[in-house]
Amino acid sequence: MAAVRADEIPVPRGRPRPVARLRTWLDRESVLGPVLVTPAMLLLVLLVAYPFVMALYFSLSNAFIGRPSHFIGIRNFVHLWDSDAFRQTFQNAFVFTGIAVAFKVVLGIILALLLNEQLWFKRMIRGAVLLPWVIPTALSTLGWWWMFNSLYSVVNWTGLALGLMDPPGPNWLGQRYYAMAAVIIVNVWRGLPFFAITILAGLVAIPKEIYEAAHADGAGANARFWHITLPMLKPVLAVVVLFSTIFTFSDFNIVYVLTHGGPINSTHLFATLSRMLVIDVGRLGEGAAVSLYLFPLLVFVVWAQLRFVRKHAN
Amino acid sequence: MHPVSRRQFLTTATGLAGILASGVPPAWGQSREISYLCWNNFAPASDKKLSEIGQRFTKDTGIKLKIDHISHMGPQQAKYASEVQTQAGHDLVEMRMHFPWLYEPQLVDVSDVVGELEKKHGKAIGSAYEGAHVNGAWRAVPQYHGMFLATYREDLFKKASLKVPDTWEDLYTVGKELKKMGNPVGIPISQNYDSISTAGPVLWSFGGQEVDKDGKTVRINSAATVQTIEWYKKMFRDCMEPEVLSWSDASNNESIQQGKAGWIHNPVSAYIVAKQRKLVTADGINHHRSLGGPHGRHETDTPRHIGIWKFSKNIDASKEWIRYLLGKRETYDEYIMAGDAFNLPVYEKLQDHPVLRTDPKYAALRGEGVQYHTYGWPAPASDKVQLITNSYILPNMIAKAVTGTSTKDSIAWAETEMKKILAG
Repeated sequence: MAAVRADEIPVPRGRPRPVARLRTWLDRESVLGPVLVTPAMLLLVLLVAYPFVMALYFSLSNAFIGRPSHFIGIRNFVHLWDSDAFRQTFQNAFVFTGIAVAFKVVLGIILALLLNEQLWFKRMIRGAVLLPWVIPTALSTLGWWWMFNSLYSVVNWTGLALGLMDPPGPNWLGQRYYAMAAVIIVNVWRGLPFFAITILAGLVAIPKEIYEAAHADGAGANARFWHITLPMLKPVLAVVVLFSTIFTFSDFNIVYVLTHGGPINSTHLFATLSRMLVIDVGRLGEGAAVSLYLFPLLVFVVWAQLRFVRKHAN
Repeated sequence: MHPVSRRQFLTTATGLAGILASGVPPAWGQSREISYLCWNNFAPASDKKLSEIGQRFTKDTGIKLKIDHISHMGPQQAKYASEVQTQAGHDLVEMRMHFPWLYEPQLVDVSDVVGELEKKHGKAIGSAYEGAHVNGAWRAVPQYHGMFLATYREDLFKKASLKVPDTWEDLYTVGKELKKMGNPVGIPISQNYDSISTAGPVLWSFGGQEVDKDGKTVRINSAATVQTIEWYKKMFRDCMEPEVLSWSDASNNESIQQGKAGWIHNPVSAYIVAKQRKLVTADGINHHRSLGGPHGRHETDTPRHIGIWKFSKNIDASKEWIRYLLGKRETYDEYIMAGDAFNLPVYEKLQDHPVLRTDPKYAALRGEGVQYHTYGWPAPASDKVQLITNSYILPNMIAKAVTGTSTKDSIAWAETEMKKILAG
């Protein structure tokens, strides 16, 4: 074999093509990582960080729609306590969230246990259960509004027809306790699928062997639920309750469509009161303060629950 | 590709530099297009007519007009707020009552247009002046107005031999009978404008007021307010159903149209819609003169105006549209007639308008002996009056009282809230 001289070996001529150079550049982890993360970061900055910072700024100012504003410190947060609408809203938010989340947990577990059984049309039923969660909230709540409406209420019509109610039936949206019950019912109806499906995923993940061993040891259905199912569902439940608490506290659509916060502010939540103050009355600063009032508390809730989940996982 | 000569290059470059420096696009590039935001009129034929006139306007002037309708007051306010905050949106907006006061810094001075209209049609009526003439300048052009009056089921009254009420106390007397018949009185006591439109006249008729005519002193804590609340309490107990606490602006209309309510306080829209939709109740619905009290016969007048945002890039074209719609007598007449007496003209020379004679049931709109006012009367119009309105203090005060809070505490609450607004 004839020896090849070094100057005969073909070498690429000139500088490498731009595409090839780009490819080489992107092959470096220190470059590719930031490039991939940048679009998401941009979205977060534009859609989350910017509005949050603006809301923070508004809450510390006397901003009024269409007029110049001045920095006033935490005066909005302090003055809100003078407003009985705000105090009522504060109470409503805890009543609404507490009751709705409690119902969703209990009913969610029951529904998940039912869905975990061997049922006919299992897939269809599981799909149907998700419907309330899939339909746009404003649209489904309009349906509920019609059902609770004093003039057309099919709820009352049915109750009266079955002899369960005295005419004219409850005034669902016009009396404070009924109105609160109505918004909680719709919130539970809408949020239940999220609980049921997530808990179902947790149920499916529990090894069957544990149940079989417990059964062999003579544990009944109740004992199996309290000593196996519930403890093993705890991490899933913690996450679901965390998300639901945040979403329920900040609910807007249901209350806005059903009651507009009435009667006499008895169903206002932070989001709906904030909307009223900003949009109807024009007080941008006060409205922003209302919407941010629970932020520190919610951050604490998130921290505590995530800590619990992490501890449990370890 | 054609080669570009040096002369062509220089001409184009100089032109572009001029456009960029002046910030004004060339005539052929200027968007002769305007957009107009208005509400879904309670007389739907009026919206159709508006669109028809808009098309003619485009044909006659070459200015494209885009009309957007939005449902009633809540969404409209949200739209105003977002447009003002972002300094973008429609060129023209329809406004109600004292909204021009609230958005004064953002609205173009349209005194020139109003001056021309007043020369043709006479002075703008008092309510329009109160609503749109802000601190010495017109911030919106008076468009039309609508008055509240008593709307009742004449057929039911005749059947039960009930006397048509003349005072709020008379209404209590017939209201008791109506409720027994299953046709209660329908006066909303909730967070909406109709609630204020009724609470105001009742309060005024008993001699009360929210704020003094000095515009600074809160006068809600008075014997007249106590009388007003006591009247509402007995009406709520004996003549109405609790549903009124959850009503929207449309609910009283629907209640009488669907055959439930026997008497409501509303503009003629409930009847107009019943007539247009050929509802079985339409023939039985009629109107009567507004009710009186110990201190006279007072009624709510709701003027509407067209404003132009200062951020509009088409202010001249926008003014042209207003002149086209309201300036020509025949076009304005056409527009008013389509509103079927829900939209009434706001200029003095047009007050005895033929639309009032299109249906004998509109006779009560003549309002003999009735004093018409905008919200907050006798306080002078201001942004504060609109804020008291938008905070729904009057209906919330009454709602508190009829649901168990003492009259004294309800009034004290309203007084505190009003003082806060006037102080702020």
